[in-house]
Amino acid sequence: MLFNSYEFLFLFLPVTAGVFFILGRSSKVLAIRWLILASLFFYAWWRPLNVALIAPSILINFGLARLLQRLLKQEKGSAAKAVLILGIVFNIAFLGYFKYANFFVHTADDIFDTQFVLEKIVLPLGISFITFQKIAFLVDVAGKRVVSFTLQDYCLFVLFFPQLIAGPIVHYREVMPQFERAPCVYDRDNVAVGSTLFFAGLFKKAVLADGIAPLVTAIYAQAIAGDSISFVYAWLAAIGFTLQIYFDFSGYSDMAIGIARLFGVRLPPNFNSPLRARNIIDFWLRWHMTLTRFLTAYLYNPFSLWLTRRRLAKGLKGIGGKNTTVGSFTTLLMMPTLLTMCISGLWHGAGYTFIFWGFLNGMYLSINHLWMLLMRNRLTSRPTLRRVMGFVSPVLTFLCVVTGMVFFRSPTMAAAWNIVHGMAGWHGIALPPVVLERLGSLAGSLQQWGVAAAPVNSEFFPLLQWVAGLLVLAFFAPNTQQILARYEPALGVETVTPYKSGPRLHLSWNASVAWAIAVAAIAAVGVAHVGGVSEFLYWQF
Amino acid sequence: MTDQQFLELFSRTLNDLLGEESILLCMETRRIDVPNWDSFSYINFIAAIEMELGIRFSVADVESFENVGAIVRRAQSLKG
Repeated sequence: MLFNSYEFLFLFLPVTAGVFFILGRSSKVLAIRWLILASLFFYAWWRPLNVALIAPSILINFGLARLLQRLLKQEKGSAAKAVLILGIVFNIAFLGYFKYANFFVHTADDIFDTQFVLEKIVLPLGISFITFQKIAFLVDVAGKRVVSFTLQDYCLFVLFFPQLIAGPIVHYREVMPQFERAPCVYDRDNVAVGSTLFFAGLFKKAVLADGIAPLVTAIYAQAIAGDSISFVYAWLAAIGFTLQIYFDFSGYSDMAIGIARLFGVRLPPNFNSPLRARNIIDFWLRWHMTLTRFLTAYLYNPFSLWLTRRRLAKGLKGIGGKNTTVGSFTTLLMMPTLLTMCISGLWHGAGYTFIFWGFLNGMYLSINHLWMLLMRNRLTSRPTLRRVMGFVSPVLTFLCVVTGMVFFRSPTMAAAWNIVHGMAGWHGIALPPVVLERLGSLAGSLQQWGVAAAPVNSEFFPLLQWVAGLLVLAFFAPNTQQILARYEPALGVETVTPYKSGPRLHLSWNASVAWAIAVAAIAAVGVAHVGGVSEFLYWQF
Repeated sequence: MTDQQFLELFSRTLNDLLGEESILLCMETRRIDVPNWDSFSYINFIAAIEMELGIRFSVADVESFENVGAIVRRAQSLKG
């Protein structure tokens, strides 16, 4: 069931929240059980078989967590470690079978020229997100950061429907204490803040992301068909998709955080205006923040720590300050970064394009870190250079992100290279005659440099307008976390960079008639644009 | 070891790592309070104090330290 569907908006959400509040007045336990039941119904709506697949996995994880806890109490450290590893392997194998079996069989067929055929395996919805959350839970139990839990608690943690399908990826210790404290009854502030977030997200998704989507898809369809994509079209498609996925996924995240808030629970933020990032490191701290947090804590840090321990044990220098050498940089920074980002790519999708997208971002991050190591002192002592980089760096970051997103969007490497070649000008630069006419004498110079006049298809001007409009919003408008900052819309939101790095327009939500009218208008437009099937891009992962 | 001895050792290790001389850590110091103490230097710092003290932090430990004081407490418990 999609958040942006009539059945969710007018039936599931009001009934679930209404019954939860009514039950909560007499029995908190009943309200929580109702929420678990409703979450299971939400999950089963798309394909009832999903519940049969996910339920054994939940029970096995719960059993392993209980066993882990018992072994830790008995101070059997090695056995506990073995159970933790078993749990992680089980979860990765579970994900691997459903998500990657077909990919690996096809890859083997390509490499060895074999003819293995595997029946098409249908991916259970949200399995990538659910798997990460279950792994984080086992690690938390092993680290004694979760000390008491029941089967009911665990089911609620895994199945809580606002973040079940596509995050934000949460820790048990973040969410469950909130349920313990929550009165589970109607709360005016929670409903007001939650609804505002929800409708802002719906507007982003249904109006903005779904508005630009068909125009972007049309150009990508041409690239997939093998038509050469010229310079301006290629850039419009690349920037257009970056904006589409940003408004789609940040819209989804706002809706998820808003729905959770209706039930009195704050989820962690997932986006903090990432397209305004100062550099690519900053971008990854602002884009899909809970995934970055998970990958850093459970993949990058352990791998990097293992490499560092080995290196220091050999008497070699680590990384940092004047100690950094080519060897330490390559081994301790570049290797774990590339590995983490390639796995991130593979997690997003079983395909070469996703792995390459991850690799590309790993290279961006490595180069960014190298630059900071080399230039840190020079930037401090040269204010002019610092000012120039203050402008160049965000622009370069945006261009890198946009280029990477071409691989994320394209179904094949051939289609992606078609667009990238177009962006590099290899397929020529063509502008509509009407644009060249308006440029006057400049048009002559442009044509001498190889810019051709070519008739445009119907997507050109609408896409140009959408891109311009959405860029203004992405770069200059405050984000939902900032607008609602005084009501702590998400967990730890005070750590999210406030206005100083960004928007010119300051808006601060409060419980007033003016804001109620504004939110109602946004909601009306959002609901009016709901129709047909328009899945969130991240639901496929 | 006392808290003060841990803090002196940690300060010396971090100064070596970042090529500085004047960093003085206290129990409340967080990573963001120290210029250039990024995530990479943090991992190196953890590995260096592990070697110095002959202890091993867990993955969950490394992720959860909120300030230097938390590292001191965990190091004390691991040292016994």
